[in-house]
Amino acid sequence: MIEFDKFTLDNGLRVIVHRDETTPMAAVNLLYDIGARDEDPERTGFAHLFEHLMFGGSVNIPNYDEPLQMVGGDNNAWTSNDVTNYYLTVPKDNLETAFWLESDRMLSLAFSEKSLEVQRNVVIEEFKQRYFNQPYGDVWLHLRPLAYKKHPYQWSTIGKSIEQIETVQLDEVKEFFFKHYAPNNAVLVVSGNVETENVKQLAEKWFGPIEKREIAKRNLPVEPKQTEFRSLHLERNVPFDAIYMAFHMSGRTDDEFYSTDLVSDVLSNGQSSRIFQKLIKEKNLFSSIDAYLSGEFDPGLFLVTGKLSEGVSFEEAEAAIWEELNTIASEKVSDYELQKVKNKIESSLVFSEISYLNKAMNLATHELLGDANDINTEVDKYRKVSVDDILNTSAKLFRKENCSVLYYHAKK
Amino acid sequence: MEKLYRNTAPKFKTVDSIEILGDTKYTLSNNIPVHVINGGSQEVLKIEFIFDAGIWYQESPLVASMANSMLNEGTSRYKAAEIAEKFDFYGAYIGFSAAKHDASVCLYTLNKYLPETLEITENLIKESTFPQKEFDTILLNKKQRFQIEHQKTNVLAKDEFSALMYGKKHPYSNIFDESEFDKLDIKTVKEFYKSHYTANNCKIIIAGKVDQSVIDQLEKMFGAEAWPQKNEITKVKHEILLSDENKAFVCKEDAVQACIRIGRPIFNKTHKDYTTLHLFNLILGGYFGSRLMQNIREDKGYTYGINSIIISHLKGGHFVIVTEVGSDVCKDAISEIYKEIKKLRDELISDEELNLVKNYISGEMLRNLDSPFALSESLKGNLAFGLDNSYYQSFIKELKTIDAEKIKALANTYFQEQDLKLVVCGPEECRNSI
Repeated sequence: MIEFDKFTLDNGLRVIVHRDETTPMAAVNLLYDIGARDEDPERTGFAHLFEHLMFGGSVNIPNYDEPLQMVGGDNNAWTSNDVTNYYLTVPKDNLETAFWLESDRMLSLAFSEKSLEVQRNVVIEEFKQRYFNQPYGDVWLHLRPLAYKKHPYQWSTIGKSIEQIETVQLDEVKEFFFKHYAPNNAVLVVSGNVETENVKQLAEKWFGPIEKREIAKRNLPVEPKQTEFRSLHLERNVPFDAIYMAFHMSGRTDDEFYSTDLVSDVLSNGQSSRIFQKLIKEKNLFSSIDAYLSGEFDPGLFLVTGKLSEGVSFEEAEAAIWEELNTIASEKVSDYELQKVKNKIESSLVFSEISYLNKAMNLATHELLGDANDINTEVDKYRKVSVDDILNTSAKLFRKENCSVLYYHAKK
Repeated sequence: MEKLYRNTAPKFKTVDSIEILGDTKYTLSNNIPVHVINGGSQEVLKIEFIFDAGIWYQESPLVASMANSMLNEGTSRYKAAEIAEKFDFYGAYIGFSAAKHDASVCLYTLNKYLPETLEITENLIKESTFPQKEFDTILLNKKQRFQIEHQKTNVLAKDEFSALMYGKKHPYSNIFDESEFDKLDIKTVKEFYKSHYTANNCKIIIAGKVDQSVIDQLEKMFGAEAWPQKNEITKVKHEILLSDENKAFVCKEDAVQACIRIGRPIFNKTHKDYTTLHLFNLILGGYFGSRLMQNIREDKGYTYGINSIIISHLKGGHFVIVTEVGSDVCKDAISEIYKEIKKLRDELISDEELNLVKNYISGEMLRNLDSPFALSESLKGNLAFGLDNSYYQSFIKELKTIDAEKIKALANTYFQEQDLKLVVCGPEECRNSI
């Protein structure tokens, strides 16, 4: 059970406080409701590039990092297809420094040409390092547009191409900031060795004066139901063939999310899972294989991805995966097997509650999705999943016309 | 309401000392030392069994790592699939790792399932059976991973750099050819297991909610004499062969970036100048505000990231700067790196920067040492050097006494240009940048 206090400032900023006195630190996590899905299709990668620019100085503070390092703090940020998250940790006595820094960059940025020019280059190098200079690195750049035809999940957070990032102008950066960065479009979570009263004061003092901004209601195209099997073949200079199968699934807040998550656990969570035992250990068809959810807010993807063992053909490998998927979609799992994956969920929950920063991120995500308290009730939603739910969810997921496959060929 | 001064930083406190949750020592009746770090808010335990069974002790490649991995693959009581089934059912995790000197088995479990999960752990440490079929699968999969890893420029650069630092055959390099996978014999691996995973070669660290019953269970399962005692282990020696070459280029034709490594062999954390070195490293490339990160990334935009690190081995160590840059700016990046090092040799660091770095390290220690699990990780590293976690207190104390002169002196003693070795891995066009 994670206890927390929650209040909302007049400008719409939601604030959550969780006290964990076992640490001498405090975490401040600021989650903005803006991600790659909100981008213009001609300007993909913008939300992520923008995240970099948030470190390029704000309206009253020329350098974000130095004052934070001076008080023993550290920080980072990440962008996903759904949100942009900024977090920092400081020794508990220096909590105010965090409020000072975060509130100023919510107020306004410095918008410097130099920072834009440098960070464009940095992001282009990031693009190369993570997507083009790694074996199998470009998979998502191809799998997403195969699975999505309308919804903006068809591009990756990094963007569709380097070219779209190269031409970003400063005007666009300004426009983006005032369109999406606002107290009424964010959730602030403070966790660690902190007192709610003190956090309330600091929040009023530093964030209170920032004015509410006009935020347009999100209106994204809905992905039409997939009706035909899709496939794509790529050939690259990699040592082994690999297969990537994607099935459309429910959204993060749908009831079905929980049974879907457990389906992926039955198939591939832990070494006792079905596909690990059958396809790696018994049949030696893969050197590695995984089933997992893409984890997005809007209807996402259920993925099965594996590297084929030397000498195994795509036909053989794919048929073996389908055999497992068809089994779980046509035969009930045993009570024991379902209990096992539920135990794992409960256990990983207990382990995840060790970190005050983890708890801050999770509280922020749940609040944005609807209610921070879902962090405490979610385990019941997992407990309620029945053997029949697993069967029905699997049958709905694992149909050929709901599937996109990327065959990644090793160049001979 | 008080007026808000947004352009002035709020007052702050520096971290002058850190409280570290210490460890309590026990000894099992067969003399296995047990270190206990008791704390945390959750009913969970991390129990790590550490053996002198790392790469240092093997006679041919892959032996230590395969012996370690095979512990999970079948025992006198359970088949591999049954071991996996049980750990998963109890929501426990078991991790295996073979490092340069030690190899370990690490159990993460909920307190309530300790009897069940510890029983399997006992069985796999004491009575692993090394079935041939599982051996073949594990080895084959390791080979495939090795082949994929060796497509990466940073891995190729790392191998080449290690060879310059320690020599190709030294365990700290751990470089070997793909063909070693086909040569490995299960008998050698099993022998290694039998002679190294023994009671008198073991230490245990427990972290989390530890009460007497945990100690009692450990005594019952691991304290008795009834597990293999080895004969005296023969002392193994490996000579470091520092290469005469100062530069190397590894060609990876299809790479779109160049991976750069610049560094030198350096003393380990038991040396009197280590704290100064730690500061030097931080200033140069050890955190986001470092000079290299600010110059190469935040000013020039040559890279997504650049870092410097100190690797402290038991019998040696090295310092290295690592980055991946656009191949068109490889040459410029290298010359900027040398420039930053030269600046540390020629100029005194300002009080402001020195203060900032000292404050940053103190905060980082506080952050990194705040949970029993994290403390157990640090303790493991410190024990290997004959230290414990009180090391950090003396570190912080010493840190305060180090001044700009001392850092400059260290830069001049150890970081002259001719001391540094350079490796670049990238497309052919980068060859002339070294």
